[in-house]
Amino acid sequence: MTGQPDYNAMSDDDFRAMVRSFVEASYPDIPRHSLSRLHWHEVKPWYLILSQKGWICPTWPREHGGMGLTAGKHLIMIEEFERYGCARVNDIGPVMLGPLLLRHGSEEQKAQFLPRILSGEDVWAQGYSEPGAGSDLAAVRCEAVRDGDDWVINGQKTWCTLGMDANWVFILARTDKTVKKQAGISFLLVPMDAPGVTIRNIENLELEAEFCEVFFDDVRVPADHIVGRVNDGWSVAKALLGHERVFIGAPRLSASALARLGHIARRAGVWDDPVFRDRYVTLQCDVMDLTDLFETYVDRLRDGREIGADVAMLKIFQSELYQRISELMMEVAAEDSGLRATPEGDRQLHAAATWLSARPTTIFGGSTEIMRNMLAKAVLELPS
Amino acid sequence: MMDGTMNEDWIENARMIVESARAVVPADGNLARVRAARFQGCGFDRAVMAQAAELGWPLMRVAEDAGGLGLGLRETCALMEVLGAGLLPEPVLSTITAAALLQEALPEEAMTGEAVIVTAWQDATGDQGWQGGARDGTLQGTKVHVPGADGADLFAVLTCAGVAIVPRDAQGVTVESAETLDGCRPGRVRLDGVAAEILPCPRAEAVLQDARLAHAAYLLGLSGRALEITLDYLRVREQFGRPIGSFQSLQHRATEMKISLELSRAAIFATARRFDAGADPRARAHGAARCKLRASALAMLVAREAVQMHGAMGITDEADIGLFVRKAMAEANTYGSPREQRATLTGLLAEEHAA
Ligand SMILES: Cc1cc2nc3c(=O)[nH]c(=O)nc-3n(C[C@H](O)[C@H](O)[C@H](O)COP(=O)(O)OP(=O)(O)OC[C@H]3O[C@@H](n4cnc5c(N)ncnc54)[C@H](O)[C@@H]3O)c2cc1C
Repeated sequence: MTGQPDYNAMSDDDFRAMVRSFVEASYPDIPRHSLSRLHWHEVKPWYLILSQKGWICPTWPREHGGMGLTAGKHLIMIEEFERYGCARVNDIGPVMLGPLLLRHGSEEQKAQFLPRILSGEDVWAQGYSEPGAGSDLAAVRCEAVRDGDDWVINGQKTWCTLGMDANWVFILARTDKTVKKQAGISFLLVPMDAPGVTIRNIENLELEAEFCEVFFDDVRVPADHIVGRVNDGWSVAKALLGHERVFIGAPRLSASALARLGHIARRAGVWDDPVFRDRYVTLQCDVMDLTDLFETYVDRLRDGREIGADVAMLKIFQSELYQRISELMMEVAAEDSGLRATPEGDRQLHAAATWLSARPTTIFGGSTEIMRNMLAKAVLELPS
Repeated sequence: MMDGTMNEDWIENARMIVESARAVVPADGNLARVRAARFQGCGFDRAVMAQAAELGWPLMRVAEDAGGLGLGLRETCALMEVLGAGLLPEPVLSTITAAALLQEALPEEAMTGEAVIVTAWQDATGDQGWQGGARDGTLQGTKVHVPGADGADLFAVLTCAGVAIVPRDAQGVTVESAETLDGCRPGRVRLDGVAAEILPCPRAEAVLQDARLAHAAYLLGLSGRALEITLDYLRVREQFGRPIGSFQSLQHRATEMKISLELSRAAIFATARRFDAGADPRARAHGAARCKLRASALAMLVAREAVQMHGAMGITDEADIGLFVRKAMAEANTYGSPREQRATLTGLLAEEHAA
């Protein structure tokens, strides 16, 4: 897995062509263009193919088994994966934990955990949220108490995406109740098969078990399973995840939804309706304007400039645009949008599937309300 | 036209009907039955349809001299609002509509609830046309999105030639049902040279307008209850040491929903009053489209906001709010999507200016 070539030295066009031909030649026989997340047992072949190729962690440095891609190259890779409709793998390890360990982890932790993410041996879940701690994440109550060489964990996490597929979970746990909430939190690594860990699946609005609750009942982990210093978990977790913050606002979800809206409209016989077209071109302009705004951020990344809090504008606009497109889809598909599946059975062109899949995008990773609050204060400098 | 329409006692009538609805819609808003009935069998409970018949609902829109109750559309809308709040999966409106079309021809067993009758009127998805389906005195064609099709015994098939009663097991009838998001099973009824007596039905268009308005009232009830549940959540859910309902951005959006809800309610009941008093065809077409347009938009607005304001809880199937969301999605476009209502309204506007 080491000895990856320096992809950044390639021209963008060559790199794109290489990614494209690899994807076309290697993508396994699993769903493409899926609107819902696939489970590990379905997506594992693709994970392992990428792992074999050394492409599972595009942003990690090459010396750690990654591709060391610049933002520009990474974006090309994402675009090509999207274009082909590659399923999203269980990427919490590659995308979240890996970069976090590279920054804050001990050498032992890096040596223990990074190779297992690269190989697909470990599948990680993110355990931040709790029933009482959502937007107000610093209110976490799940507690870890030091006992000899162990941390003893008691409490609950929830909304763990694909937590049922994971063999490890990283959590934010309260380790000091006497200080300001943010100052008493630690970042811990917990094996899902540790005694005292139980999970309960939660069905989502699409009636699929995509997330779960995780309960901790006197769960013991060794003292060295803490990342960063004790009580420093808040800054560890909040550490900016580089260009992922920009990519989350990429226009591709909306752009592909807009294309599907066009198909649905043709099928429903309203494509030529001037009233429909009026609304379609409005959305089309929104997608194009978002694309241009997004590009300004990608340029900043390419030039190695700072990305500020204002990047949240991208996520807000993209997620709400995706939702607005899905709403017009529902109207256009008329009664068929109320069915569980389209009469033709194609989920991609089922308005309701897109409508439902668009809902969480304004809730997770910081709700649009929280993002707007943050923009108003940090960017517009409005008073509290 | 109907005896009850001029009756100033409509409020008392409506109160009694709403009261009677408590037999099938629990006053405490419990949705255990509704939840359990989803995705099971035909998607509704025949016993509840029998209860509805006992309460006389099928006869609401049958004239008194035809053996019915001759109640007005306001009463019907009041009932539908309650049924919407309770997310009733039974095809009550479709039965009321069948009876209104058939009047004295409504079969005895449909009146008693022994048989479930629903209306098969719609020719195509995304189109409010109902004229197809009759050829040379027999029934030939397809009717789509027939509510409760999977569990119905009789269809009141509406065509340009009139209305016919068609038993589900009649020669030449095939029913293909499909599951909806909320777990019901409406269907497509294919009629292949079905022999049936086709009765003239001069009020067909008006009855469908009534149904469109009554369906708007169902959406109103659904939206009202979903808003209440969401407001309750805003009051009890705490983040940052305070109820999330104290955040002004959420307060303003909750207010927006309330305004939409009251506009919808006012429009529906004023329109029903005008229908009851005898509105002309243009006013009827306009009123039904206007009310349905707002009610659909309201239901989807509340669905979106309810999910958002519930946070991740709103993305679960476990929370009851999800039942409202899926019902809104399933029902917002029946009796015409907002796009179709706007098309009706622009058509009427054009006629007006041509005249
Ligand atoms: C599909 C999905 C997957 C998820 N996966 C994970 C995961 O893998 N791991 C994990 O840890 N978490 C996960 N989450 C949880 C996610 O991080 C939380 O849903 C999010 O932080 C919001 O918290 P909440 O759901 O408790 O909503 P709440 O915080 O209760 O918010 C409810 C509503 O109130 C609004 N609100 C809250 N505070 C304010 C304010 N100050 N001003 C204005 N409005 C406010 C919110 O925006 C929202 O509309 C997931 C969520 C979803 C929907």
